[in-house]
Amino acid sequence: MIAVKNLYKNFGKTPVLKAVSTTVEKGEKVVIIGPSGSGKSTLLRCMNLLEDPTYGEVWVDGKLITPVDPYLHPDLIALSSTCRRLCAEGMTEEDAVARIKREDLLRKFEGAAFRKAVRSRYKENYLDINLVRRKIGMVFQHFNLFNNKTVLDNMTLAPVTLKLKTKAEAEERAYALLRRIGLEDKANVYPSTLSGGQKQRIAIVRALAMEPEYMLFDEPTSALDPEMVGEVLELMKELADTGMTMVIVTHEMGFAREVGTRVLFMADGAIAEEGTPDEIFSAPESPRLREFLSKVL
Amino acid sequence: MLEDLRTVLSSPEYMGYFWQGFGHTILISLIAVAIGLVLGFIVAIVKIAATQNKWMKIPAFLCNIYTTVVRGTPVAVQLFLMVFVIMAIPGVKPAAIILTFGINSGAYVSENIRAGILSVDKGQMEAGRSLGIPWTQTMVRIVFPQAIKNVIPAIGNEMIALLKETSIINLVGATVGQLTFDINAAASQIIPKVGYLAPTIVAACLYLIIVYAMVLIIKLVEGRLRKSDRR
Repeated sequence: MIAVKNLYKNFGKTPVLKAVSTTVEKGEKVVIIGPSGSGKSTLLRCMNLLEDPTYGEVWVDGKLITPVDPYLHPDLIALSSTCRRLCAEGMTEEDAVARIKREDLLRKFEGAAFRKAVRSRYKENYLDINLVRRKIGMVFQHFNLFNNKTVLDNMTLAPVTLKLKTKAEAEERAYALLRRIGLEDKANVYPSTLSGGQKQRIAIVRALAMEPEYMLFDEPTSALDPEMVGEVLELMKELADTGMTMVIVTHEMGFAREVGTRVLFMADGAIAEEGTPDEIFSAPESPRLREFLSKVL
Repeated sequence: MLEDLRTVLSSPEYMGYFWQGFGHTILISLIAVAIGLVLGFIVAIVKIAATQNKWMKIPAFLCNIYTTVVRGTPVAVQLFLMVFVIMAIPGVKPAAIILTFGINSGAYVSENIRAGILSVDKGQMEAGRSLGIPWTQTMVRIVFPQAIKNVIPAIGNEMIALLKETSIINLVGATVGQLTFDINAAASQIIPKVGYLAPTIVAACLYLIIVYAMVLIIKLVEGRLRKSDRR
């Protein structure tokens, strides 16, 4: 389960994500759609911390991968000196906490007790991001195959470097995956000799070589020539059928409808509408979504 | 003019100076380049790591001072400072000279390497990190090999510049005991005896030979590293 809680992301002073919360359960295929600049990719990249959220927390399988956000923990706020001051002024603790949350009153220094509590909360729940990323595969818009490595090395580098597999095991697995996508004969060539579609399919199986539990797709077909989109979507469909948990940012509405179990529509850095593909595509509620769909369908 | 040239080329004494200078120029440059590469590499890594790790901020600040000072002052001034002030101990003059050129070249090399690392597509690092490979390992296995390929021409340039800069060694004295320091120093020893023209031409030819050999070597290395680009 990937849980995103009250996520904010600012690039400089530009807010990109505003209070986004969502949970991706095991086995779900969540499709994120929306106009460009709406924060889809940023949300996805926050899920494996390629982007550090400004506020908010991300949890993967019950483990915290971001710093603790005290605003999400009323018991932590209650320990802050601001809260103690408000209580001394005659507010009840509950009101004080509510007011601090509402008016963003926490300061940089909130006393030793608060700092200690935050730190221990972090220590209890945190897991090293490199360990978390092992089980979250990611596929990029621009493939990002390692240019200085052959296809086979691309696929074996991570499992072998991280000592999860011996070289022989990793190569066996890599060949099996390459056979599955029919590119076995490309094992020893460099990525620069491949077509876009081949690159992206290899990028997908490179992620699969780590045997991940989740797969994140960041507009996987946007940089492809039209005739190559099909082969990549086909592979993703196959992957979905194996029960993989997937989060997909895409502009392929047909694919979203067919494969998705849940669709998030994002606009202006927030989730504007959420539902099953049928609800989103057949009965859109908000005018913003209706306008978007009329443009892309 | 030809007469002078013949005199210089046929005199074992004069050519002895030149061959000694030739050898020393190569030796000084080689050691200085090695120092420069190591220093430049370390400085570049520290500066890049500082964007990731707050503990590297102070070392990175020191590195910034180093590159600013070294690149901001003429190498002749640095040479004077090193030989006559910082390392003004009898007998260490050759070491002081080599060190000066090494430190000088390190500053330029570090900026070249840093630019090379930054020129590698950010996606390469992201892909490595997304697979769970730690920052350092991704840097070493993915980003550096690609960066080095990009900076070989610039570093080659820097090496050639360094080699030619060694000709200012003259400024701090042309010899130590019986030894002539470099090609230019050799030329300046002969000039009082046969005039400017002939020794200067010989010196120029010798420099040209070394530089051309370097260019060939750099091309060879570049070709090797470009293997993965071939279609």
